[in-house]
Amino acid sequence: MPQALKSKRFTSLLQDRRARVSEQTQANRTDSYGAARSEKLKVSGIEHFPVKEPVSGRRYSVVKVLTEDGFVGFGEGGPATSREFAAAGELLIGLPATASEVARKRLAEIPSLKAAVNTALLDIVGRFSKAPIYQVLGGPTRFKARGMTPLIGESNESLIEALNVARNAGFRAFMVPLPTVAARNQGRAFVLAARKRLEQLREAGGEESDFVLDGAGVLSPGDASSLASEFERFHLLWFDEPCQLTNLSPIRKIAAETVTPIGFGRFVSNAGVFQDLLREQLIDILRPSLAGNGISEIRKMAALSETYYVAVAPHHDGGPIGTAAALHLAASLPNFFVQQIPRPAAEADRRMRAELAGVAAERVEDGYAILPTGPGLGISVNEEALKKYRDSGV
Amino acid sequence: MKRRQFITTLAGAGVAGQLKLHPALGAEPAGDSGVSLPSPLGARAFRSVGSKVKITNMKVFGVSLTPDSDRPYVFVKLETNAGVVGWGEGTLEGKAGAVIECVNDFRDFIVGSDPMQVEHHWQSMYVHSFYRAGPVIGSAISGIDQAMWDIRGKLLDLPVYELLGGPVDPRGVRGYYHANARSREDLIRLRETAHEQGITCFKSGIPGYYEWIETHSKIKQAVEGMELLREGLGPDIDIGVDFHAKTSPTVASILVKEVEPLNLLFIEEPCPPENVKAMARIAARSTTPIATGERLVAAYSCRELVAMGVVDILQTDINHVGGITALWKVGAMAEASGISMAPHACEGPIGGLATVHVDAAMPNFLVQEICSGVQPAMKEKVWEEWLGFPAMRMVDGRFPLPEKPGLGFELSEESLKKYPFGGTRPMARVFHRDGSVAEW
Repeated sequence: MPQALKSKRFTSLLQDRRARVSEQTQANRTDSYGAARSEKLKVSGIEHFPVKEPVSGRRYSVVKVLTEDGFVGFGEGGPATSREFAAAGELLIGLPATASEVARKRLAEIPSLKAAVNTALLDIVGRFSKAPIYQVLGGPTRFKARGMTPLIGESNESLIEALNVARNAGFRAFMVPLPTVAARNQGRAFVLAARKRLEQLREAGGEESDFVLDGAGVLSPGDASSLASEFERFHLLWFDEPCQLTNLSPIRKIAAETVTPIGFGRFVSNAGVFQDLLREQLIDILRPSLAGNGISEIRKMAALSETYYVAVAPHHDGGPIGTAAALHLAASLPNFFVQQIPRPAAEADRRMRAELAGVAAERVEDGYAILPTGPGLGISVNEEALKKYRDSGV
Repeated sequence: MKRRQFITTLAGAGVAGQLKLHPALGAEPAGDSGVSLPSPLGARAFRSVGSKVKITNMKVFGVSLTPDSDRPYVFVKLETNAGVVGWGEGTLEGKAGAVIECVNDFRDFIVGSDPMQVEHHWQSMYVHSFYRAGPVIGSAISGIDQAMWDIRGKLLDLPVYELLGGPVDPRGVRGYYHANARSREDLIRLRETAHEQGITCFKSGIPGYYEWIETHSKIKQAVEGMELLREGLGPDIDIGVDFHAKTSPTVASILVKEVEPLNLLFIEEPCPPENVKAMARIAARSTTPIATGERLVAAYSCRELVAMGVVDILQTDINHVGGITALWKVGAMAEASGISMAPHACEGPIGGLATVHVDAAMPNFLVQEICSGVQPAMKEKVWEEWLGFPAMRMVDGRFPLPEKPGLGFELSEESLKKYPFGGTRPMARVFHRDGSVAEW
């Protein structure tokens, strides 16, 4: 039999078998939570706070979940519509806050709220247990979590200024944007411009500053490959989203050619995509989006990548409640490497973050974020501030 | 110190009380705690985020239900300064003495450490064992890991499956017994009992021992045995058949193809576990789902099976794979590839109950084994005598979920004394007609 036919038969047999077995798994049986056995921690209501940073315009949503027995939990995710939010509320009322796997299944069709709800439920469980979320998850594997912040600026000069400000705020790792991408396959001048940018930043930051180059998924595979090879001896922490993750063949080429570590994941919302990248050794650091996946989902992705000796550094471009969730996640993961923590340039935006969750929530010292130690998320969320910064566009 | 002093009452734990930290879970006070305990390497770094709870003693018990048992239970008990104790199981068939010694080898890792940090200790026991873990180290880690989860649940006041985000199905965990019946009449009787009790699944084995290549009569006998199972148990009961790695890939391939029309739930271990490509060769030849994994240790050992997409069902055993921590990770990894979980359980009641907790939290959970028949025997009576409830007995085809915090049972050391350790005994040793070694 020709090889192609053989593998086709194998694939279809496999799918057939998998389908037969998976029909019987727990997730595919009818949800039997109609009359939940547990009387404690039943979700009684949900509130939604879409918020927006006044200067940067960064938008995210905060969810507040209440239980019949008087517990409250907060969680943050990406922007969501009020319709999505109302639908999520209907799906969750009556469910015990502990049953986050059931919430995950029920919210499968509303991905924008999965993360926020997951954090809020874990916040409730932590408050019930009078323990930080990382204690619920499996205890701290580290006592502080390395932080990394994206530098914002167009010119090299503005980035150096941002670097100095971020260094003073305690960061030692920075994500750097590419020089403006004018066209596909831009050749040597572009590569040299990127190199010059990073060299100037290293000179300004000193030897103990480290860098992630943010490809943001905009480069052609050719340009990505050239850059990856150019930076091999510069020792980036990693090259993030060097090209679009549309299929694996260009990534195979980049990963095979370069020793520069490669990160992917901010656009990924399915562990299966990471499975493909890991299986073929195409990824050095998992970058799942915090806003799109949430703590429990990322813990599963991390369990997968641990067996490939690959670390996790969740992508985070939201607010301080998200940062707090990320730090609990970081504390719980054996294969955590660094947490991205946004640090807006404008004072007004930073004030908003401090008002939402307190200044301590995003404090970084000598390169490391301090772990929260209170119950649940370990921060106190200021509802007045949530209202004050309401995103009127939602 | 009494547990009561650590656990504040939950009454009125509403808005006003909920931001208070559990008194035992707060960071350590700066001064000396007054208790003289060893400080394990690396523990001091966690003063700012760890808990005040410390493991004060670790005990390991070999428990033989019969003096010549090949699988004396290996139970681990961790005692803490919070008045809470935790139990775990690391029973390894045929190697009880080795696991007991291995648990003791981990004493320096455990006594004086914070039981809340189960993931951290798991990593340390696994990574700092340097050679990584085979079944002996894996089983020792399993026992300690389960005991820590038991303590964690008790301190956090939740059953372990709720700490893990479950239960996915609050009615309990679907299970199967072994079909200890060979004749058509016995199988029909078993089917009737199953229908009465709500049991939906059974597992059976294939008879005899198999050589590298098999004769027509031997293959026919195995196929007819499986056909008889389907005929006797009827069309609506799920059937797993355990090849127990007795067959070579060559022989297994023939069998898995022959029995396609029987629509078995799975065939288990169609060949030994060391060679994933050999397993893949068998799996590629049949629509019958393939299950394996009971002998694998840590999620690492399942990686290739999952990556190659070879199997449909993973069966890692909570007493060998590395406890709750590792079984949960295997489940998470399998989930990403659409693989289901049907954990193996053929040891004692602690591991059995621990695995039910993990099952309850896995969306890709399929069915849970217990090496028991529909009628409880001596073993099940002893378990009930120890734990005060019929552990690992199904109700309506499901293992009920424990409701108490932690693993959800109490066990006294005293009750184990009736079954002293009878020493290590080998598992079955079987030989072919020509005297050569056979797989059992």
